[in-house]
Amino acid sequence: MKKVVFMILTIMMVAVLVACGNGDEDSVDDQEANDETEGTTNGEGEAITAWAWDPNFNIRALELADQAYDGEVDLELEIIENAQDDIVQRLNTSLSSGTTQGMPNIVLIEDYRAQSFLQAYPDAFYPLTDYIDVDAFADYKIETTSLDGEQYGLPFDTGVAGLYIRTDYLEEAGYSVDDVQDITWAEYIQIGVDIKEATGNNMLTQDPSDLGLIRMMIQSAGTWYFEDDGSTPNLANNPALEAAMQAYRELMEANIVSMVSDWSQFVGAFNDGDVASVPTGNWITPSITAEESQSGNWAVVPFPKLEVEGATNVTNLGGSSWYVLNSDGKEAAATFLANTFGSNEMFYQDLIDEIGAIGTYLPGMQGEAFEEGHEFFDGQSIVADFSEWTEAIPAVNYGMHTYAIDDILAVELQNYLNDKELTDVLEDAQSQAETQLR
Amino acid sequence: MRQIIAKGKDIMIKNGLFIKLFSVTLISIILVSTLITLSTIRVSTNLFLETFSITNSKIIQQITSQFNHFSATVATTVNQIENNGVIKRVLNEEDDDSVTLAGSYYQVNQELERIYTNLQTFDANLVVSGRNQHLYNMNYIYWPVSKPYIESLRITEKAHASPHALTYHAMETAVIENDRVIVAVKALTERLSDYIYGTVYISIRESQLREFYQGYTSEGNDVILIDQTGQIVSSSQAGLIGTEEHDLLAIAESTYLSDQEHTEVEWGKRDYLLLTEYLPGFDMYLVNLIDRQMVVRSLINTGEILLISVVIILFALGMVWFVTRRITKSLTRLVKQISKIAKYNFSERVTEEGGYESNQIAKAFNHTLDELETYVGIVLESQKRQRNAELKSLQHQINPHFLYNTLTTVKFMVMQGDPEHAMSTIHALITLLQSTLGEVSETVTVEQELENTKNYVTINQARYGERIKVNYFIGPDCQSLHLPKLVLQPFIENAFFHAFNKKKDGFIQILIRRHGKFLYGEVVDDGDGMVINKDKFPTKYKKKSQLFSGIGMRNVHERIQLLYGDQYGVEVTSELSKGTKVTIKLPIIESSK
Repeated sequence: MKKVVFMILTIMMVAVLVACGNGDEDSVDDQEANDETEGTTNGEGEAITAWAWDPNFNIRALELADQAYDGEVDLELEIIENAQDDIVQRLNTSLSSGTTQGMPNIVLIEDYRAQSFLQAYPDAFYPLTDYIDVDAFADYKIETTSLDGEQYGLPFDTGVAGLYIRTDYLEEAGYSVDDVQDITWAEYIQIGVDIKEATGNNMLTQDPSDLGLIRMMIQSAGTWYFEDDGSTPNLANNPALEAAMQAYRELMEANIVSMVSDWSQFVGAFNDGDVASVPTGNWITPSITAEESQSGNWAVVPFPKLEVEGATNVTNLGGSSWYVLNSDGKEAAATFLANTFGSNEMFYQDLIDEIGAIGTYLPGMQGEAFEEGHEFFDGQSIVADFSEWTEAIPAVNYGMHTYAIDDILAVELQNYLNDKELTDVLEDAQSQAETQLR
Repeated sequence: MRQIIAKGKDIMIKNGLFIKLFSVTLISIILVSTLITLSTIRVSTNLFLETFSITNSKIIQQITSQFNHFSATVATTVNQIENNGVIKRVLNEEDDDSVTLAGSYYQVNQELERIYTNLQTFDANLVVSGRNQHLYNMNYIYWPVSKPYIESLRITEKAHASPHALTYHAMETAVIENDRVIVAVKALTERLSDYIYGTVYISIRESQLREFYQGYTSEGNDVILIDQTGQIVSSSQAGLIGTEEHDLLAIAESTYLSDQEHTEVEWGKRDYLLLTEYLPGFDMYLVNLIDRQMVVRSLINTGEILLISVVIILFALGMVWFVTRRITKSLTRLVKQISKIAKYNFSERVTEEGGYESNQIAKAFNHTLDELETYVGIVLESQKRQRNAELKSLQHQINPHFLYNTLTTVKFMVMQGDPEHAMSTIHALITLLQSTLGEVSETVTVEQELENTKNYVTINQARYGERIKVNYFIGPDCQSLHLPKLVLQPFIENAFFHAFNKKKDGFIQILIRRHGKFLYGEVVDDGDGMVINKDKFPTKYKKKSQLFSGIGMRNVHERIQLLYGDQYGVEVTSELSKGTKVTIKLPIIESSK
């Protein structure tokens, strides 16, 4: 009897031992699992992701911001480069289905599109009103990045435009930089023809699907596709637009335009020296300076102006702002933005020093970096120039549907190039726009 | 050394039973558990791998359909582009003025954008390059190319060499770090003239292609996409990408052609289970490599099984050791005890402990000993009784000569007219005879015994005169003590009849005293004395019949020892012509008894 009890005890002990063995292992696994989760939260900081599109410009700005970040919360920023169209498409897909799965925490949105996103998906974005001092930013940026009194976007770059031009090509054609200051589009075309004659290079590149040039032209004259309410199409009987269309056609007919179909070809064209000028936003500076062999051969002059009433040599293209999606990690993302783009003056100095990016945070828009001459542009202090122009940018209301009008106009522009009457072109565009946006 | 060996041998012999039992059990336990463990591991491994390969062949089919879906989309896209009149026209255009170009670019972009939507879901890129300067890149982020770069590519050359084939190539990209692209390329040809007017490229990043199967892989379960040159195009093991593995290609090819579900292969010094599927669109093999050891290790915890086995073995051994030890130890002890008992005495008992068996044996042995002892006791008792009876009968045999002599003496006394003397002699005789009638074991007081002795002396003096004087010295504290009756008589008789053969007169002293725990009775004469041999007793009298009763000196001694034990008895010392001294040693028996 004793022996039987002893046996049973032994078997039980073995069983307990085996069970213990398993238990230990489980607890080890748990431990590891814990370690892993801790690793991502505490060890390396909270992970936030950001989407932007220009590796020379806004991607670099994010990288600098990551370095400059000195907030209390540990953050691990992952920067993902996506084509702007992709970002727009994915945001639309995700937000319209009401999910933020697979979306970043921070996304860069062009100001032209800001209102369409903010109005279409009111709850998708996280208000930054409590994180930043709204008054510290340029007024014209605040308007496009806020909705119903809540500030959603953290304004980033100005998008102030200028004409980047090759001084060496100018000289070859018998011009000096002074000859291209404050010129009209007619003068620009004439210089382009002369340069092509002298060097064989076209004056500029154009993507026929992208009407950025037209938009810059009309904003320089203080008008937009819409009336001031931002929703009534203002295409027919818009003298500025009319003049812009004419200027565009004259450019094409002068045969001084290289065609590109994407960003890399666009950048490739001026980096390879195929074109003599680039009329665009200041955000192209880093892409221009990326080709070091052309150092000293570039200048930035005011944007050519239209010959209509109210026309100026100042305009804007693009310009974008940071938005925080209303999903997990929004506080961390907002904290990150507020700590860098939202308050760090030194960081704005770095932005200018490192990539020549001009922000819209007014306290950050002064200091040595702004006055310094840029070696690449033969000592020209382009930042100071751009800053000066920024103040003069005619304010317009981009409204919600800039790109919808763009698509309509692009088709009509082709018709116009194919000898359709300009008044008809604009009338047709107007009626299409009215139908589509009604 | 020899001592140690001898000692070891001794231990071996003494614990022989234990060693044999234990080693047999030890070997069987280890054999059984080892074999069962090994076969369990083997069987479960095989079973698991079998299941695994079935699951994985389903997975491979899944992945294959993903790839086929992609290649079908690619083929459709290429077809659409080739059949698109606008694209064909624009790509055939000679470079013209900006206005025409603007129109062309715009139109082609419109067309391509529509076609490109199919590919967008795969995050693939579409690039169309014309014989002229036209280049359309639908998503430059995925594969940034410039006109000169794309025309310098070897794949462009190859596509132009065989313009009807849609081929896939893996290549480095100069621009994107740490990623490669897989490019499907086809020349765009005019149907009738076979004139090549452009090239279409559909690129997908390796990291995107990996998404097709990444979710199905795990450590030790890798998917590899290998092209016909043996180059690894895509793999869940990032390190393999770009390397050339001709062996693997050969194995995959033969496995696929032999129509086997899976094969077991050795590759890179490791054993793998290989499943493969041919991707016709890509003209590549999709290979699923399952690292047997790693996969099995992750499922079957060999270490744990072994640990459990070892623990069980150790426990079993511990139990076996304990139980065997218990059984054999008690047996060994029992054997030792029994051999000792056989040598020395039967009154000791074997301890009844240990296991049931040895307990029973010990019990049985003790029982036997008990029985034996009982029988021995009975035998002893009966012998005693026999002896007693013998003594009794001897005691009762009053020698007729004694009676005759005494009665003759009395007759002479009467005849000599001494009736008073005769009277006392007769009286002594009657008392003496009366005393012999009781039990032989009965005791009498010293006083009574002295009375008997005196009566006997009286009779003898009546017969032989008073030349031998008898003196009595009795300790006053001895009067009431008991002693067996007639213990003194044989010695007095002996003194009377044998001590005074040469000397004609003398003294017999009778002393009774108490000393310590003993009662001493002494009969001392100053007669002839004698030579005493080892036997303590004068043998020369042995054959002579007793004069009074059948009880002789030796009988007295034996009787005392029989009654009281070995430490009591009779001792005789004698010296020639000086006399003899007989000492009787008795226990002290109080009369109250």
